[in-house]
Amino acid sequence: MTRLTDLPPAQAKRLAELECPNFATRPWVTGPALSQRRVAIVSSAGLVVRGEDPFRGRDTDYRVIPSTTRPEQLLISHISINFDRTGFQEDWNVVFPLDRLGKLAEEGAIGSVAQTHYSFMGATDPVQMEPHVRELAGRLKQDAVDAVILTPV
Amino acid sequence: MSALGHYLEEEGIATVAISLIRPQTENTKPPRALWVPFELGRPIGPPSDSAFQKRVILAALRLLERETGPVIIEDFPEDDPRATPDPAWRSPFIPAAAATGPADSLASRLEAESVLLGDAHQRWVAQHGRTTVGLSGLPIVECTRYVADWLRGKAPPSPREGFSAPLILRFAVDDVKAYCLEAAAAGAAKPSSRQLGDWFWNESAAGAAIRALREALQASDDDRLKLIVANFMVPAARVPVS
Repeated sequence: MTRLTDLPPAQAKRLAELECPNFATRPWVTGPALSQRRVAIVSSAGLVVRGEDPFRGRDTDYRVIPSTTRPEQLLISHISINFDRTGFQEDWNVVFPLDRLGKLAEEGAIGSVAQTHYSFMGATDPVQMEPHVRELAGRLKQDAVDAVILTPV
Repeated sequence: MSALGHYLEEEGIATVAISLIRPQTENTKPPRALWVPFELGRPIGPPSDSAFQKRVILAALRLLERETGPVIIEDFPEDDPRATPDPAWRSPFIPAAAATGPADSLASRLEAESVLLGDAHQRWVAQHGRTTVGLSGLPIVECTRYVADWLRGKAPPSPREGFSAPLILRFAVDDVKAYCLEAAAAGAAKPSSRQLGDWFWNESAAGAAIRALREALQASDDDRLKLIVANFMVPAARVPVS
C-alpha cells in the first residue's frame, strides 16, 4: 500500500496502463503572477462533507466543499480501497490542503483562496465527468478563480 | 486528474495537477503536472508536516508561472519521510485474533475488539480533534454489529433510507477500518501506513472478519454484493495470491 511499484504487479500494470482520453487539443491558459492568483482545490478523492450524499460507486458528478468546512466535517467516500487513508485521518491537508493554501495566502505567496472547492470520484471514467467539469468551470469563474490545483489519491 | 485539467483549461481556467501515477499523466498530457514520489492516498506528502506540504504545493503552483508549454511534467525531488516505520510505535494491546475460525466466533471477537479499542479511539479524537468515521451514518457500535451480523449470515436490511444494504455494508466496513486504524495510531509515535496496515490485516479481529466476510459473500447470489465484497473491502495488496 505504498507507491505504485509496491502494489501487486497486475494491479500496478493496470493502473499504469489505464486507458486515458486521447485529446486532440493542447489547451494552455496563462495568467498573472502566483502572488495575484485565486486558487481552488479540485480533488478526485471522493470527498464529501459529513451529512451530505456520499459518492456511490462511480458517480460522474461532484461534491461542493465550502472554504468554511472544518477538518472534522470532511470524509473520503472513494470506492477504491487500494490507497492509504491513514495520512488523511491524521491530517486532512494530505489530501485537501486548505490550511496550507490559507497560510500561503497569508504569506503572500498566492493571492487568495477560493470560496468553494470541489471533489469528484476518481475511479469514474473522466469522459463521463466532462459535462460536469465544464459546468464546474462556470462556478469557478463566478468565484474569480484563476488557478486550480488538482489533487488525486 | 490530468483529464479534468484538460477540460478546465479548455474552459479558460489554468490548472496544475498533482500526479501519483506518472505513466497515466504521461499518457494524458495535461497542461501542467507535478509528479510526487509518495504513496497512493498522500498527494501532498507526509501528514502533520506543514513545511514539507507547502513545498509540494508551491512546487506545483509555480508551474503556473511558466511561460512555455504545454505539456509540463516535473518531478518533486523529496521522498516522504513518514513512509519510514517508527520503531517506537506499538500496536494496540488486544487479544490476538486468529485469521481463521468459526464465523460466529469471529463476529463476536470483532465486536469485543471494537469495545476494547474504545479508549484508544477516544485518545485519538482528543489528540486530533476529529474522526473520519461516519460514512455509514451509524454509531460505531451499530456499525460494527452490522458488519458482524453479515458475518453471522443474517444479511441484515439497510438501516438507512436511500442506501442499499450492500452499499451500507461497504460504508460500514470503511468505518470499522477507520475506527481501528485511528485507535491504533493514537499516541506520540508516528507509525507508517504499512505498520498500521500490517497490524490491521494480520493481527486484528476486524481485519480477519473483513477477510472472512469477503470469502463468505463471494458465494452470494447477489451480483452487486459479490462485486462489492470482491473489490471494495480488502486491498489488492492484502488479498492472498491464489
